[in-house]
Amino acid sequence: MSLKPTVKKIIITAITIFIIACCAVWYVFTVKFTDTVKEKADYAVNALDLIDEFKKNDSLANKKYAEKIIAVTGVVTEIEMADSTVNIKLADTTTGSYAIFAFQQQHLAEAKTIKEGDKVTIKGSCSGGTYSQILETEYIVFKRCALSK
Amino acid sequence: MKKTICMLAIFFVSTALFAQKKTTTSATVAFDATTSLDALPMADNKTVVAALDPKSGMIAFEAIVKSFSFKNPMMQDHFNSDKWLDSDKFPTIVFKGKITNLKAVDFKKDGTYLTEVKGDLTIHGITKPLTTTGSVVVTGKAVSATAAFTIKVDDYGITNKAIDNGKVAKDPKITITADFK
Repeated sequence: MSLKPTVKKIIITAITIFIIACCAVWYVFTVKFTDTVKEKADYAVNALDLIDEFKKNDSLANKKYAEKIIAVTGVVTEIEMADSTVNIKLADTTTGSYAIFAFQQQHLAEAKTIKEGDKVTIKGSCSGGTYSQILETEYIVFKRCALSK
Repeated sequence: MKKTICMLAIFFVSTALFAQKKTTTSATVAFDATTSLDALPMADNKTVVAALDPKSGMIAFEAIVKSFSFKNPMMQDHFNSDKWLDSDKFPTIVFKGKITNLKAVDFKKDGTYLTEVKGDLTIHGITKPLTTTGSVVVTGKAVSATAAFTIKVDDYGITNKAIDNGKVAKDPKITITADFK
């Protein structure tokens, strides 16, 4: 039994579309975030300048920086560590306002080598900033961070 | 006389220090909305601001919504979109409450204490009362607190097809852990 060429074409096209659709779905559901080290920073800023920018107008600053990759340079004022977490803080010690960086899983080991007083450049995805009612100060949060080399 | 004054001074200073509000900027809030149909909707936020006042029993946390980190970028985009948490419009999740059985917790003695917490949880701009149990662990000067509970997402105005189709849990589990300073 031989299929007509038109029917054959339709079957091949349908199978091809099905395979492409499966690949697309598989890709969407298994794709992960790129290693932040490999991502290009949208902005490079000094920590204290960044904190000032958020304090002056956090709505504008959130529009500018949220979900962007930012390289922030400053002096480490505090390290908060738990079993699976290393958060590095660059704070304005006069006001208590701060930027905090949660490190990406694959960069936890390098984060554990950082000490208070170190001058560092950290690259991460900015989650935005807000005024904390609890701490009564402005804070800016970063996720998926890595030391910038 | 001098000795008595010194003793009283030490007592008042230590009492004042003990009564101070404890805070952290690295509390973790994790949520798990996975179902048998989808293992992706789960995330955590490791930069949550939290506070505990041992004197009054006040307990609170603030989480920036965009700081919830997913493994899957598409899932994270959906979470922040206007169909879900709408993080541009409602940038924070806030809980303010109290430990209602404060007498059961001795902050001066090492141990694990079961707590009852009552307060208000604000998600997606909607505030609902929340009552849950948790635990407080005292180890020397360190105090940590944990709580786990479920919420109904439609209570917070979050409804969509993925929830109706069973791909995202209607009642995700929320876990909070905080190591206070």
